[in-house]
Amino acid sequence: MSGYVAGILAVLAINLLLAYAVFLPAAAGMINLGAAGFMAIGAYVSAYLDVEYGLALPLCLLAGAVVSMVMGCLVAIPLLRTKGVYMVLATLAFGEIVSGALINMEAVGGAAGYPVTTFIDMPVIVAMAVCGLLLVVYLLSTRFGLAMRSIHDDEQATALFGINVRRVKVMAFTIGAGFAGVAGALYGHHYNYIEVANFNLMLSTYTLLYVLIGGTQTAFGPLVGAAIFSLMPEMLRGSEHWRFVIFAVLIIATMALRPEGVVTRHGLARLFGRRKVEG
Amino acid sequence: MIFLQQVINGLMLGGLYALVAVSFTFVIGMLNFLNFSIPGIFMLGGILSWAFMVPGGLPWYAAVPLALLAGIAASLLVERFTYRYMRARFGDATEHAIPLVSSMGFLILFQGLVQIQWGAELHSFPSPWQDTSLRIGGLLISIPQVISLALAMALVFGLTVILGRTSLGRSLRAVAESPDTAQLLGIDLPRLIPAVFIVTGLFSALAGVLFALNYLQVSHVMGDEIASFAMAAMVVGGLGNVWGAIAGGLLLGLMEVMTIFFFGAKVIKVAVWGALFLLILVRPQGLFGKPAVGKGKF
Amino acid sequence: MTDLLTLDSVSKSFGGLKVIQDFSLSVGAGARIGLIGPNGAGKTTVFNLITGVYPVTSGRILMGGEDITALPDWRRARHGMARSFQNIRLMPHLSAVENIMLGQHLRARRWYDQLAPLGLMPRNRWKRDAEEALEAAGLGRHANALVYNLPYGVQKRLELVRAAVAGARLLMLDEPAAGLNPTEREELVAHIEALTAGGTALLVVEHDMGFVRRLCERVVVLNFGQKIAEGPPDVVQRNPQVLEAYLGTGATADVA
Repeated sequence: MSGYVAGILAVLAINLLLAYAVFLPAAAGMINLGAAGFMAIGAYVSAYLDVEYGLALPLCLLAGAVVSMVMGCLVAIPLLRTKGVYMVLATLAFGEIVSGALINMEAVGGAAGYPVTTFIDMPVIVAMAVCGLLLVVYLLSTRFGLAMRSIHDDEQATALFGINVRRVKVMAFTIGAGFAGVAGALYGHHYNYIEVANFNLMLSTYTLLYVLIGGTQTAFGPLVGAAIFSLMPEMLRGSEHWRFVIFAVLIIATMALRPEGVVTRHGLARLFGRRKVEG
Repeated sequence: MIFLQQVINGLMLGGLYALVAVSFTFVIGMLNFLNFSIPGIFMLGGILSWAFMVPGGLPWYAAVPLALLAGIAASLLVERFTYRYMRARFGDATEHAIPLVSSMGFLILFQGLVQIQWGAELHSFPSPWQDTSLRIGGLLISIPQVISLALAMALVFGLTVILGRTSLGRSLRAVAESPDTAQLLGIDLPRLIPAVFIVTGLFSALAGVLFALNYLQVSHVMGDEIASFAMAAMVVGGLGNVWGAIAGGLLLGLMEVMTIFFFGAKVIKVAVWGALFLLILVRPQGLFGKPAVGKGKF
Repeated sequence: MTDLLTLDSVSKSFGGLKVIQDFSLSVGAGARIGLIGPNGAGKTTVFNLITGVYPVTSGRILMGGEDITALPDWRRARHGMARSFQNIRLMPHLSAVENIMLGQHLRARRWYDQLAPLGLMPRNRWKRDAEEALEAAGLGRHANALVYNLPYGVQKRLELVRAAVAGARLLMLDEPAAGLNPTEREELVAHIEALTAGGTALLVVEHDMGFVRRLCERVVVLNFGQKIAEGPPDVVQRNPQVLEAYLGTGATADVA
């Protein structure tokens, strides 16, 4: 495989893992505009343990995911008292707080960036992304997944069936944060260099947008969204700037014509003919 | 004296934030819609003024009104494809995240188009005055910032008068209560809602022009940072509260300048966003706000 | 023996408006009680207070002798109550069978039921159980349809099945017969009787006295948030206060 294809696959895999950080809360009806913040936490924790303590790589990744999940849980518990616009603004604020704090941390290079020692190659990253995809497929197939999707449709009615809505939402947000942490850790070890500017608000915004383009009803929506976002720059070589315009038109058109995203359950069922769908 | 100068700088900077914050808060108050295209329209106001003047060769008194008109047109375009479209299609635009997401799309679209046309670099903005600052007893006061603060207050005052006294205002307030009820009462929504977007388009583009006059630089991302601060100012003032947004803008401006003065520029981001985050969790209605707005489902 | 559900002088105000005043009710295990009253009498509010959609302003609610007044909605459900809604509240993006599986939640709270990848196991017992419940309701052919595609009558019936599969001790139905024609009503009575045959207590909100008379042994009449009568359907039906509430002053006609 050429280095070119390998490079694209690595980007796609990292974007997919990050996408699930937005997807899991979104599937339960929440908007997370702070995905880059959780990604940064995972990246810096893993990089720091690698550089300063020479910890084994799997442990670095695990630590990145765990710290990110702990932060996610700590943020989610108070956050779930808010709704709508407030939730969007609070997650946005969280992402900015993380990057603002990292700039002031000289131990990890501050604004100058932080070189990461150990390299992780593309196949490992792709394998992790495949595991991530399978984990999400599994989660959605359990009663927990059913509860998430019910909450998305009608939070109140879901609670009246004895489901602890708050707990489901906190868990969805927390597991999502873990995905972002892994994505960040892999990013750092793959490019061997991280800086705060890598994890900015634009990244959070783009991630939210491509997840919504893909659709939040099935685990495959984020895959399609991440593929569109990751492959577009490659398809538009030479007219680099147009990618933003095309991406923007794509999101506006998706919201107008197919607001539930490109991949819907209804569409999948028709495509694969697994289920008989009426209407 | 230095401290007093900082206070003035803070208030002046806050005037810019206030104008953008008013745009954000007005749409939220009226339509429960967090309009992310506002920084894009802000940027269009600034960069189109530059484009009409420098590459275009127009005098400032033609360039600026044209840029403002373009900002209003952009805002109406956003209305057409977000709020109006969603309402026509789903019978309700504000209970979904869809308009919010589309407005993010428009922000990226505006920035992308400007970048293609004029590149990603900073352009220097010609100053219509020799010196844009005023000296009063050793204190330096920036004229564009004074204008922006005065204009923000005048515009908001005008807005409250319109909302309070005129039939247009009564209709708008009815819409803010409930679009469905307003429609039942015979209010023509498709004709009325654009008024909200015209106001936000004008305010945002004007803030962009004033920003350009003040910093004498424009670029395709000039709206990003100021929009973050304006959103923070909006939350401080309480969502939907226009006077609150002005107070919030001034407070944020002061806080920014003071934080830089006492702790350095690097902590400003943590300070502002940390304060905002806590405020949302502890007192989401803001310091003076109406609590009911912006808590919609999605 | 303690009653299954007890409401002890419950009141509810919204702002200054008293919607429910000093309302008391007891439902014995296996009892079938109809809650009737004119539009706006507060029937659905009573359901919402019992299930915890809103907190009561004053009074107590007990389930199986335990005070549940301060519990959140999802904990109350775990005391064994399940309900349907006046305006259908199925999950539109879930299929019919998934909606029913949501209803099973109260019975599926062991960790291995929570962790099982049911969606990937085509023949798991929960799905079979849900499909059987649909089959028994005559809805078998709609099992895999997404709910928003289904006609009103089918959705109405699905809500009933979803509440029934919870295996709750108390089944609360909010206007289950609304919008159905007389034949469908007949079927519905038989269906509800079958669902509660195992001794499930039933609390039904309904406008149609005829329907309530056939299903319930006791009716409670609400008007302007207060209980104005209680007793067997035939007795209540002749109560002058009830007639007045339904038909206005001076009316004597049979309420049906």
